[in-house]
Amino acid sequence: MVSKLSHLQVELLGALLESGLTKETLIKALSEVEPYVLQSESQRAINALQTEKGEPCPDIPNLPNGMGESRLSEDETSDDGEEFTPPIMKELENLSPEEAAHQKTVVDRLLQEDPWRVAKMVKSYLQQHNIPQREVVDTTGLNQSHLSQHLNKGTPMKTQKRAALYTWYVRKQREVAQQFTHAGQGILTEEPMGDDLPTKKGRRNRFKWGPASQQILFQAYERQKNPSKEEREALVEECNRAECIQRGVSPSQAQGLGSNLVTEVRVYNWFANRRKEEAFRHKLAMDTFSGPQPTSAPPLTPHNSSSLQPPSALSPSKVHGVRYNQQPASEAESSSSNHHGNSSMVTTQTILHQVSPPGLEPSQNLLSTDTKLVSAPGGTLPPVSTLTALHSLEQNPHALSQQTQNLIMASLPGVMAIGAGETSSLAPAFTNTGASTLVIGLASTQPQSVPVINSMGSSLTTLQPVQFSQQLHPSYQQPLMQQVQSHINQSPFMATMAQIQNPHALYGPKSEVAQYTHTGLLPQTMVITDTANLSALTNLTPTKQAFTSDSETHTESGMHTPVSQAPTIHLQNQDTTIQHLQPGPRLTSSPAVSSSSLVLYQSSDSANSHSQLLPSTHNVIETFISTQMASSTQ
Amino acid sequence: AGKAHRLSTEEREQLLPNVRAVGWNEVEGRDAIFKEFHFKDFNRAFGFMTRVALQAEKLDHHPEWFNVYNKVHITLSTHECGGLSERDINLASFIEQVAASLS
Repeated sequence: MVSKLSHLQVELLGALLESGLTKETLIKALSEVEPYVLQSESQRAINALQTEKGEPCPDIPNLPNGMGESRLSEDETSDDGEEFTPPIMKELENLSPEEAAHQKTVVDRLLQEDPWRVAKMVKSYLQQHNIPQREVVDTTGLNQSHLSQHLNKGTPMKTQKRAALYTWYVRKQREVAQQFTHAGQGILTEEPMGDDLPTKKGRRNRFKWGPASQQILFQAYERQKNPSKEEREALVEECNRAECIQRGVSPSQAQGLGSNLVTEVRVYNWFANRRKEEAFRHKLAMDTFSGPQPTSAPPLTPHNSSSLQPPSALSPSKVHGVRYNQQPASEAESSSSNHHGNSSMVTTQTILHQVSPPGLEPSQNLLSTDTKLVSAPGGTLPPVSTLTALHSLEQNPHALSQQTQNLIMASLPGVMAIGAGETSSLAPAFTNTGASTLVIGLASTQPQSVPVINSMGSSLTTLQPVQFSQQLHPSYQQPLMQQVQSHINQSPFMATMAQIQNPHALYGPKSEVAQYTHTGLLPQTMVITDTANLSALTNLTPTKQAFTSDSETHTESGMHTPVSQAPTIHLQNQDTTIQHLQPGPRLTSSPAVSSSSLVLYQSSDSANSHSQLLPSTHNVIETFISTQMASSTQ
Repeated sequence: AGKAHRLSTEEREQLLPNVRAVGWNEVEGRDAIFKEFHFKDFNRAFGFMTRVALQAEKLDHHPEWFNVYNKVHITLSTHECGGLSERDINLASFIEQVAASLS
């Protein structure tokens, strides 16, 4: 009877009904239109009303949870299903007989199978559709820990509970199928996917990035950290398509993704978070750098290189990190023994140093001198900002030799060789007659000296190894200019690496490199600010930069190498801004980076399209290996 | 909605007697009709009002009304024409129907 309805409610309901509402419509409306408003009483009222009217409504969920999936695809009702036996079981009542029977048979069949196998199936389904375990737990009443263990490790689960799980699984599949087929039909259809139950936490499941989407995003991130709205929208489409494909659904049914649908806002947030992450890594690196002095050579404290993708260490292919070519990778690695580990880190640092012996005579000096990288950590930082010697590509790695430890920052006009050198002092501006290659001596230097990076501290380590392929050296005979000044800021940082050999060296094309030879400026400047993360290895077009080291006195001017065109690498300690070295006319100028970030510039042709300067705002410099470079480094 | 033109004298002569017969009175000073309804209790009164309201929305013609507990005073007039119109008559009829069903 009217049971729990007040008279007024009955009246009102009656009024509604008399106004032309059919019962069906009313019931549907109750579920659909006011999902959040419905309380269990109203559900009961519906039932009551129906009962009053003498019409059973099998579709109405008896469960306050409103899991009445059968006809109503959403479940918006309140969730006090917990009072009842696992809501999911109750739902059975709600289904039409055939559906219920069908589901039961499927569940029974599953129960008879090997539980572990079924568990694997269920687990992979969850992964495929990015369904949080919480959803399962809420609807089945299972214990989350138990469920997780059962699915992941095969911990035994009693039949009764497994039945609940399988029932959920079967139902969910149906829901999802419906969801996808009703893809455009509005929110209602999304609900089942979003959350089976109006969870206590909210209506929908929390969005989660799928692996396919993440891959797409990371690739885009490499290309550009700050995509515009149009690009974001394109990414949205791409990601949704990928997610649908992953689920085996046609991309046109993207709405079926429900709570895991990718939107521009989510993409925007993803990018923002990655940028912040970088900055944070950089900051950590800085901290580590300036914190504990490295006892041993590798000043690089392994900064979260882990944050960077696990280095395949010198693998040039790393997308996310700084990629340096390291010539003596092995050396680097060995030196990096200290690092907690990331050999990659070490290498990265060493990378900075690319030395190609030949041709760089002068640079050799630089290198030898020093690459004294300011190795802050080690306390070996030379008083003067050490500029890593710029080594041309041809320079001998050995020349650099141990200098690695410090970052060599070459403020110079263009050449900075960052040589990891033990001596921190960098040779005073080097003028390279030859190609001004700012070689970040890292490469050639002994491992420990991961030069530039070192000084930066672990931060550099975080950078993925910048791989300056040594291979590049040979190709470039062009001597890089080594204008590197030896100012290398000690510790703090700025290791600007002047060019990394020929910028193109990294990139591969020899022809380009050749061009630089003539420029007095470093074709490549690697500016590492802040040591910390040489995350950016960008094609620098060397810009003149003044490099200031905070502790060091070097003023920017000091840093400049005589070479007129030499790009100056300007590193600012304090905030370790990275300035771009501007090698010269050929080089494209890159914006100065104000924050301490290492920017590796590879001088490249003006045509260089890869210069990517990380915004100074981030302390982390990400090195992007231009495609050219990548290829060359391969 | 029905026509919103003011009822002519002939039309009034035709239609008003019907509603007057069931208890609607013309208001002094304005061209409107008025009636008071009493119900057993608030619930019924409000149920009545709900029904009327739903219909009013449908017709897009709304009454002026007042309610206190089980009493409902309704005044009907058409704003667009500044007086009585067919819509008022229609709504009045409907109201009567509803009231009858509730009483």
